[in-house]
Amino acid sequence: MHTPGRHGPSTLVFLLPWLLTFGIFALYPLADSFWVSFTRYNPIQGPPVFIGLDNYARLLRDPIFWTSLRNTLIFVVGTIPLTTVGALLVALALNRHLPMKALFRAAWFMPTIVSMVVISLVFKNFYSPFGFLNAILSLLGLPGHAWLQDPDTALGAIMLMDVWAAVGYYAVIFLAGLQAIPAELYEAAALDGGSGWRKHWHITLPLLRSTMLFILVINTIRSFQVFIEIFVMTRGGPLDSTLTTVYYLYDRAFNSFELGYASALAWALFAVTLGASLVYVRVLKDRGAA
Amino acid sequence: MIGKIMRTMSWLLLLPAVTGVFGCSGGSTPAGPITVHFWQFWEADVVGPILTRFEAENPGIKVQMKQLTWQNGREEILAAVAANTAPDLCELGSTWFGRFAADGALADISAETDSLRARLRQWEAAMHNGRVYGVPWVLGTRAVFYNKRLFREAGLNPDLSPPDTWPRLMEAASKIHKPDAGTYGFGRNSGERYVLFKKFMPLAWSNGGDVLSADGLQSVFNSTENLEALKFWLSLKSVSLTERQDQIDQAFKQERIGIIQSGAWLFKTLPTDAPKLEYGVCRMPRPDGNNRVNRSFGGGEILVIFKNSPRREAALKLAAFLARGDNALALCRVAKSVQPAAVGMENDDYYQANPGERTFVEQLTTAVFPPNDPSWQEMENAVENWVEKAMFEKVTAEKALEEADQEIVALLHARIP
Amino acid sequence: MSSRMVGARDRGHWLIVIGLSIGLVTMLLPLVWMVGTSLKAVGAGLGGLSDLLPWPVSLKNYRDILASGPFGRYFLNSAVVAIVVVAGNILFSAMVGYAFARRRFVGKGPLWWGLLATLMVPKQVTMIPIYVLTAKLHLINTYTALIAPFLVDAFNVFLMRSYIEQLPHDLEEAARVDGASEWRIFFNVVFPLTRPALAVVGINTFLVNWNNFLYPLILTNSDSMRTLPVGLALYAQGENSVSWGHLMAGSCLSTLPILVVFVIFQRHIIEGITAGAGK
Repeated sequence: MHTPGRHGPSTLVFLLPWLLTFGIFALYPLADSFWVSFTRYNPIQGPPVFIGLDNYARLLRDPIFWTSLRNTLIFVVGTIPLTTVGALLVALALNRHLPMKALFRAAWFMPTIVSMVVISLVFKNFYSPFGFLNAILSLLGLPGHAWLQDPDTALGAIMLMDVWAAVGYYAVIFLAGLQAIPAELYEAAALDGGSGWRKHWHITLPLLRSTMLFILVINTIRSFQVFIEIFVMTRGGPLDSTLTTVYYLYDRAFNSFELGYASALAWALFAVTLGASLVYVRVLKDRGAA
Repeated sequence: MIGKIMRTMSWLLLLPAVTGVFGCSGGSTPAGPITVHFWQFWEADVVGPILTRFEAENPGIKVQMKQLTWQNGREEILAAVAANTAPDLCELGSTWFGRFAADGALADISAETDSLRARLRQWEAAMHNGRVYGVPWVLGTRAVFYNKRLFREAGLNPDLSPPDTWPRLMEAASKIHKPDAGTYGFGRNSGERYVLFKKFMPLAWSNGGDVLSADGLQSVFNSTENLEALKFWLSLKSVSLTERQDQIDQAFKQERIGIIQSGAWLFKTLPTDAPKLEYGVCRMPRPDGNNRVNRSFGGGEILVIFKNSPRREAALKLAAFLARGDNALALCRVAKSVQPAAVGMENDDYYQANPGERTFVEQLTTAVFPPNDPSWQEMENAVENWVEKAMFEKVTAEKALEEADQEIVALLHARIP
Repeated sequence: MSSRMVGARDRGHWLIVIGLSIGLVTMLLPLVWMVGTSLKAVGAGLGGLSDLLPWPVSLKNYRDILASGPFGRYFLNSAVVAIVVVAGNILFSAMVGYAFARRRFVGKGPLWWGLLATLMVPKQVTMIPIYVLTAKLHLINTYTALIAPFLVDAFNVFLMRSYIEQLPHDLEEAARVDGASEWRIFFNVVFPLTRPALAVVGINTFLVNWNNFLYPLILTNSDSMRTLPVGLALYAQGENSVSWGHLMAGSCLSTLPILVVFVIFQRHIIEGITAGAGK
């Protein structure tokens, strides 16, 4: 491919500002939490006490951890395809010459600019028995429902909210990715008589591979860490049906002061997230080679 | 073009270095008077004037106050303890106090608080193993709110028969309950931690039941009294809206619900959210019978001094000042959700003029304050989990009590080394 | 220009406009509700459908909020922090992303996975170490504590690397053949080409930073160092109750600057490459 830069020292200059903040404010806390995951640590009692793999052994036997991991996986698997496909379609639509395109773009992005805490509070109000959603349903002659109070619908309701909030955000990133595709490629395809969908399938998608990988990995990481929604809307209930792994580890850390165990839970989640990301990299790389 | 951008950016990046100088001045301690660092949860405009008065009365002491958030106060305090930057004086909820006291983070102030003993109540909430580790500041409890209009429409006289006994509660709730018309008899909690306990246990306590034995060493959760209470709680399903507390409060404001158990925070929001609502307040329901008392959940805010504080004397002075009747009342009048821990406040003109809030002060006298057991939160979780499972009909009432009892026993055993 | 593009080729064009419009209503409805609720003085957040169009309209919630604390100061703090962090991220994430996309260096693989790991480990467990470190550096309650940890966001580096990887190599090669230095190649060739992605970095960083709550909450102690979201949370959310009118008024106020920033940056997302290449 291209010749790698031979100007060694200049690479360091490119990296230096990041290496500094990364080392101090990212790597150090990361290493610290990794060490703490092998300890029993309650700051009120004193410094961490090394206990080897006890936290990890406990985690494997902890049914609540497995419940939380199951809920988290449902959340990830349920939201990511919807968000990704939705965002891509919206980006392709917004990339055309439309009337009022600035308005459309801003509108789709609007949910993103409101903080997740506020969005969660708004939707908590929406989903409430006498809230906005049931009011609309009753206008349409449909029965209402206690969405967040039913173990069968609570997680789904939160997932739907998340898709709503995320589609516009990822659409904007797709939109930026679309700009890196040279227009000549489309012109060539048009000369060959390629239709709209074929054009996207054969040109847009392969060239968006890097953006796609970025969006999938980022969205997966964020979805595995779903927390604020749960913290504000359900606190894990009813009957642990919305208990996600990060909410569970938050509960262990700040309600039970088990920072060691909470860190072990965090690193277990890290392993799962890493595994999922590696799958994406493998799949999308293979596509690229083919 | 690019060069211009770069120049602008380098200026912007210099900004923190410049502004950082201003920033530092906020954190430093001036020489001369002692500065007490005080962390608490109430709004600055409520507590601020009280602190100003304290500084005027104690010229040698300055107070630096940080307002904690109710949602994230736990993180703030725990991080500070971990970094050894905890404040001198800190407000802790009574459910938290037990852990901090048991883990040895707090200063033993038994001797210094002798003079305060007679003036404040609920010292049990500030004690651990017979020693005092805090000063009770303000207390809170739960009581019953009911919609008088809905009572009258159902053919009941709300003033003659307030829903403060089980039969009266059930009768009123059944008559009001018309779910097809969007009106519910009673509001029953579920779906969130640390709330259901405060609504279910009052029934059990009023029926003579409890979680732990009086000495705190044994579980007494699997009892006939608790079973009766749980069965009553489950039987309320047919006349209830089962929801989270904020939704129940909201439905009450929308006049869709006849009777709810809630906290005094409603006094703050009812006037602006539902100015036309005509409501009454009574104590938590008890079963019929001569020796049955209307019991409720009691909690409090405790002022604690961290063990490493070098300004213990000044911090203690501030704690005593804050807990003093007039100062605590000044806070409670605005905050509404709590009442002073100072003795004799029910006779104050303020509570005489506000019968709803007075009911809370009276309810406090028969409220049950959970013991300061280090694993109390886990025990509360066990009770809530199993009661909720019974509410969703995953297990029978008997089974729920049995399982919760076993979990509590296990927690008690785990402590024996 | 646009009339040429809207040809018979795009039979689905109006279908797309209609689809986008339906989506637009869905996207905006909850936000209209926010605005409506913020303008209700009585019974805010309790009215179901009527919260959408409050009557009478009242600015009481806004007045209450602005009177509840030094909001001018909160706004200034948020603005200073956000501007510096956005500037830092635009410059540094492009540099680091470029290095990862185009250069070879020792430890590139481990560094990359280290960067991803900082995203993959939930911040709930790194929060306390960060606080302890900040306290040890005597940075609690300073602007530095609010800025330094966020100056080069891993997310942005990842985004820039993905974007630069997608760019064709020809222009850089041409510049290299012409004997341009590595710095010149980066600043004069690559940097302008990344404008769409940098616009996303700008929007995303501003957004995340402006709404950032937990760290500013923990890392500051005094009123004079509080940021906007912290000031709002201290006022509108009690232990057991939410004041809907106040909360929504506060959210509308704090959301407005983000909207302005979005409108400024989003132009560059679309027009970036044509403008950059045309020069």
